[in-house]
Amino acid sequence: MLIELKNIHKTYDNGQPLHVLKGIDLQIEKGEFVSIMGASGSGKSTLLNILGILDNYDEGEYHLAGKLIKNLSEREGATYRNQMIGFVFQSFNLIGFKTAVENVELPLFYQGVNRHRRHEAAMAYLEKMGLTGWAGHYPNEMSGGQKQRVAIARALITHPEIILADEPTGALDSKTSVEVMDLLTRLNREDGVTIIVVTHESGVANCADKIVHIKDGLIEKIEDNRAHHSSVFGTDTIMK
Amino acid sequence: MRHRFDFDTLREIGDSLFRNKRRTILTGFGIFWGLFMLLFLVGGGAGLKQMLSANFEGFASNTIVLVSMNTSKPYKGMKEGRSWQLNRKDVERLKALMPELDVVAPIVSNWGQTAYHKGNTTSPGIKGIAGNYGQIEAPLIKYGRAISDADVEQERKVCVIGKRVYNELFPEGGDPCGEFIQVGSVFLQVIGVDFSSGNLSINGSAADAVMMPFSVAAKLYQRGNNVDLICVTGKKGVKMSSLEPRLRSIMSREHLFDPTDDQALLVLNTEQVFSIVDNLFRGVNFLIWLVGIGTLLAGAVGVSNIMMVTVRERTVEIGIRRAIGAVPRDILSQIIWESVVLTLSAGSAGIVFSVLILNVVEALTKHQAAFQISFWTAILAALLLSVLGVLAGLAPALRAMKVKPVDAMRDE
Repeated sequence: MLIELKNIHKTYDNGQPLHVLKGIDLQIEKGEFVSIMGASGSGKSTLLNILGILDNYDEGEYHLAGKLIKNLSEREGATYRNQMIGFVFQSFNLIGFKTAVENVELPLFYQGVNRHRRHEAAMAYLEKMGLTGWAGHYPNEMSGGQKQRVAIARALITHPEIILADEPTGALDSKTSVEVMDLLTRLNREDGVTIIVVTHESGVANCADKIVHIKDGLIEKIEDNRAHHSSVFGTDTIMK
Repeated sequence: MRHRFDFDTLREIGDSLFRNKRRTILTGFGIFWGLFMLLFLVGGGAGLKQMLSANFEGFASNTIVLVSMNTSKPYKGMKEGRSWQLNRKDVERLKALMPELDVVAPIVSNWGQTAYHKGNTTSPGIKGIAGNYGQIEAPLIKYGRAISDADVEQERKVCVIGKRVYNELFPEGGDPCGEFIQVGSVFLQVIGVDFSSGNLSINGSAADAVMMPFSVAAKLYQRGNNVDLICVTGKKGVKMSSLEPRLRSIMSREHLFDPTDDQALLVLNTEQVFSIVDNLFRGVNFLIWLVGIGTLLAGAVGVSNIMMVTVRERTVEIGIRRAIGAVPRDILSQIIWESVVLTLSAGSAGIVFSVLILNVVEALTKHQAAFQISFWTAILAALLLSVLGVLAGLAPALRAMKVKPVDAMRDE
C-alpha cells in the first residue's frame, strides 16, 4: 500500500474553528491513477495539501510508502516532498526568471546533484515531453500547455512515488486539457507512475481509474472508473 | 540533502539577481551611492588636510616665538611706550634658567637689501640664524649644507639661499655652492640651497630668504648684541602654553618691564595655531564619517526595505522552492547571500567609482596632495559592507523563511 489515510481530521482555526476534514479513510496502491472530485469548499484541496506534506493534520494517521507522516519537522517535510512527491499546479508555478530546463533542474539542485548531471536529466525529461527545442525559453514565451508539460517534467525528475496534480487543466483550454490528461494517462500506463489528480471537472476526473468523491469533509463514494465512461456520460455532473 | 555553499549556490544567487536587473539595480543603488559618498568624502578630506598642512611643512609644531615690543605700562619710574630689545644674553639666560626648553634660537633679520649675481638681481629677506635653527624650521637642502654652529662662531661670510632666490640669481640652474653673491655691500659664498616651501615662517618665507650666520648679520647690520626674535621649542611632552608665564617673568625681570604687561613681549605660540587646525580637521573628519556612515546606513536600510518588499513579491517563487524540496535554511541562506552579493557588488562599484573620481580630483589639483583613499580603507569599507549586507538581509530572510509551501498553490 503506497498511501494509507486513517481517520484524518483537520480543523482550521481562524477565529472561528472550521472542521474541514471529518475523518477521511483512503488507500491508494502503487501505480494507480486516482482523481479526487468535489465542489469548492468540500475539503479536497486540504486533503491534497496533507497528501503532499504541505500541511499537517490534527487526528489520524497518514502513511506514505510505509513511513508515518506526522508532526514532521520543516526539514523532514522538505526532504520527503523532494524525494517522494512531484507537484503539478493549476497555475504551473514555474519560476519566471528561469528557463524551462532550469525550472526542471531545480528539485535536483536542492538534492545537491551537480550541474552537469542535473542538466542532462532535465533535458531527458524535456525530450520526453517533446519540448527539447524549448529548453532555453522562459515560461512567458511558452503556451499554457507547454508550461504545464515543463511542470510535469519538473515533477517527474526526482522519480517521486506519486504525482499530485491540483487542477492541472484549470488554466488550459479544452484541447490542451486533453493533451495534458493524455500525457498523465500515458505516464501512468507506460511508466507505472502513481497519479492523484484533484479536480472539480468531471471530464478530467474521468481519465482516472478511480474517482474519490468528497463532500463536506467526508468521502461520499469511491467510484471504480476503469471503463472511463462514468462521469462524462453519467448523471448529475458538471461538464466543462 | 545539500547544505554547503558552492559554485552552484553562487550561480543560483547570481541568476536570481542578474535576471531581475531592474530590481537589483534599484536595490543596489543606495549602497553604491552611500559607499561612494563615504570614500569620496574621506579621500577629499584627507587631501584637503594635506593641502593645508603643506603650508606648515617642516615647521616645528611646538615653537614659541618671542618678539620685543614697546611697553604699554609704566614700570619702576619708567614711562610706558619705552622700547627694548632682546639680546644674545637672553638666549643664554633662557637656556640656563629653563631646562624644559629644547632649542633656543636667535634670529637677526634685515630687509631692503638687494642680492646680485652675474647681472641677476633679487630682493631677499635676510635672516641671520644659528646652527640650531634647522630644528625650528627644517630646511630641505637641495645642494650643499645648512648653516652650522661653526659658521656662527667663526663668523664665516657664507649663506644658504632659498628656492626663489636661487631661481632668480641662478636662472641657468646647477649647483651654486662655492659661488659668491653680493648682498648689499658684501660678498657671501653660497654653501647651500634650501628648497623648503612651507608658507608658515618667521620673518619671511624660506624661499625668499638669504640665510647667513647670525653673528655675521649682527655685524653687517650693526645690531651689537641685540637680536630680533628668539624662537624656542620645548622638550618632548612639555606643553608650550605652560611655559609662557615663566618666559614673561624672566624677560620682564631682565628688561625691566611690568610682568603684567602682556604687550611688551609678544609670545607667538605655534602650538595654538596647529591645535586650531588640528581641531578643525578633527571636526571635519567627524562630520565626514557621520555623513558617510549615515548615507551608507540609509543605503543598507533601503536594501533591507526593498528586499522586504521583494520577499513578499516572491512569495510564490519561495513557495515553489519550498514545495519542491528547499528547507527553510536554503531559503534563509539564499536571501542573505543575495543581500551580501548585492551589497558587495554595488559597494565595490562605489569603491571603484570613488577611486576614479578621486583620481580625477588629484589630477585637477595637479597632484598637490594625495586625495586617494588607501588600500586598507577600501578593504575596511568592503568588510563593513559585508556586515551591512548580512544585517540588511536578515529581516527579509526571516520573513522569507515563514513562507509556507502551501503559498505556492495559491493562485494570484
